Amino acid sequence: MTAYKLWENAPGLCCEEPMLEYYPAENKKTDASVVIFPGGGYNHRAQHEGGEYALYLNSIGMDAFVCQYRVWPHQYPLPLLDARRAVRFVRSKAAELGLDPDKVAVMGSSAGGHLSALVSNYKEPIEFEGVDEIDSISPLPNASILCYAVVHAPDEEGIGHAGCYLTLAGEDADYNKLAPDLHVTENTPPAFIWHTANDSVVHVGNAYLYALALRKYHIPHELHTFAKGRHGLGLARGWSYIEQWSTLLQHWFMHMGWLPEEDGTWK
Amino acid sequence: MEVIHLWDNVPALDGEEPVLEYYPAENKTTDATFVIFPGGAYAFRSAFEGDGYAKFLNAHGMDAFVCEYRVLPNRFPLQLLDARRAVRYVRANSEKYGIDPNKIGAMGSSAGGHLSALLANYKDPIDFEGADSLDSVDPVPNATVLCYPAIRAVNDDDQIVRGCLMNLAGDIPVENYYPDTMVTEQTPPAFIWATYEDACVNIISSYTYGKALRDHNVPHELHILTGGDHGLGLAEGIPGVEQWSGLMVSWLKRNGWLAE
Repeated sequence: MTAYKLWENAPGLCCEEPMLEYYPAENKKTDASVVIFPGGGYNHRAQHEGGEYALYLNSIGMDAFVCQYRVWPHQYPLPLLDARRAVRFVRSKAAELGLDPDKVAVMGSSAGGHLSALVSNYKEPIEFEGVDEIDSISPLPNASILCYAVVHAPDEEGIGHAGCYLTLAGEDADYNKLAPDLHVTENTPPAFIWHTANDSVVHVGNAYLYALALRKYHIPHELHTFAKGRHGLGLARGWSYIEQWSTLLQHWFMHMGWLPEEDGTWK
Repeated sequence: MEVIHLWDNVPALDGEEPVLEYYPAENKTTDATFVIFPGGAYAFRSAFEGDGYAKFLNAHGMDAFVCEYRVLPNRFPLQLLDARRAVRYVRANSEKYGIDPNKIGAMGSSAGGHLSALLANYKDPIDFEGADSLDSVDPVPNATVLCYPAIRAVNDDDQIVRGCLMNLAGDIPVENYYPDTMVTEQTPPAFIWATYEDACVNIISSYTYGKALRDHNVPHELHILTGGDHGLGLAEGIPGVEQWSGLMVSWLKRNGWLAE
């Protein structure tokens, strides 16, 4: 694993350097790649939703990157700035690493899923951008993988996750500006979404509302909700039935043309 | 396969008689069962969404029933009457068939998925019920499997689903028969699947139904797969989409309806 600094001099730096960890696949089968944003409520980053995903993607022949984006006490726009920079950075390195700059996905869990959905839908320029030529590259990913993601803004129904938005942006922010489901357009990238239906931390309505918005704009997507399972399962190894999600993801990549369809191995 | 007559004297009979077909599993390993409602826009019934599913369940050790419910020119409530009668019959005869009366699921595709969801949620008595003692048996299934279900029209442009439900409802507004508006804490658990590319039934109605189930804490599972259009049944040989039956099998196993 190689760790890249996203900037020589990261803007807005106070106490931790945002990094991008590169996990090359040993047996590489595709020039598609995934940038992973671990979850952790925007106040930490969970290893099992970072490096472990990267190793899984490596095992199916895909290069992966884990973005150690800044979290609390850093706040918006810095996590989004780092996420956009990570996508741009991978594209800037695409030729060197043997990657297709038009097959760069983002993948995130919980708050990392929010960041993934946000980077997939945020259209405005943000503060601190434009420091070098890398910032002129498109930060919009080509696909997103959302694992029990926070999407919806805090609401009376209790679907939106208030704590996540509060940690990201503070009390006075305009949360609707940061709610990815409200900003879906025909330019939003395709998505693979999964969630457990009884998740007591992030309401499954986040998955349904995002998928509903995607369907309205005819954005291809796949969605899997599993009946029972707690929040934050990651690869869900040992959860016999939920762990199928990673195989479903692999097949979705095949459908997208991002992984080769191996002979007779669809099942 | 054995044909079962649901009534001695079928209420409001005009034309075809509704029947229930019994498909016993050769190597039975569970006392759970499904009553299957084929799709066909309430105008016909597709065989592959009936006996195709029954044979699939049989192969997994489960008995199955296919309900040949009445369709056009018959109108509401006859479709629901037949569906309720089918569940009642299986429940009342559970001992005879070696079935657990509390493990009777309803499984339906497209319009049959709508009928299954309606069966799971419709609470009022309907015309023609009470003809005999069998009608006092609970008609609510213990689980539903909804395959690309025609839950509701999602907007004014959604003429296909509206037309399908008009075949059911006749002159009555179709909005009276939207199962997502009837969900309560008592609604049985559901497994729902459809394809993103479905050009016939908009998957937004599956999201609406899933959200209604979550709002009432009803356990459910929802899978939107990519790679095929509406009405694929088991989708065998269709990459991606064919995964749904395996997902259903693992859901049934987890709930103790199929043997591990």
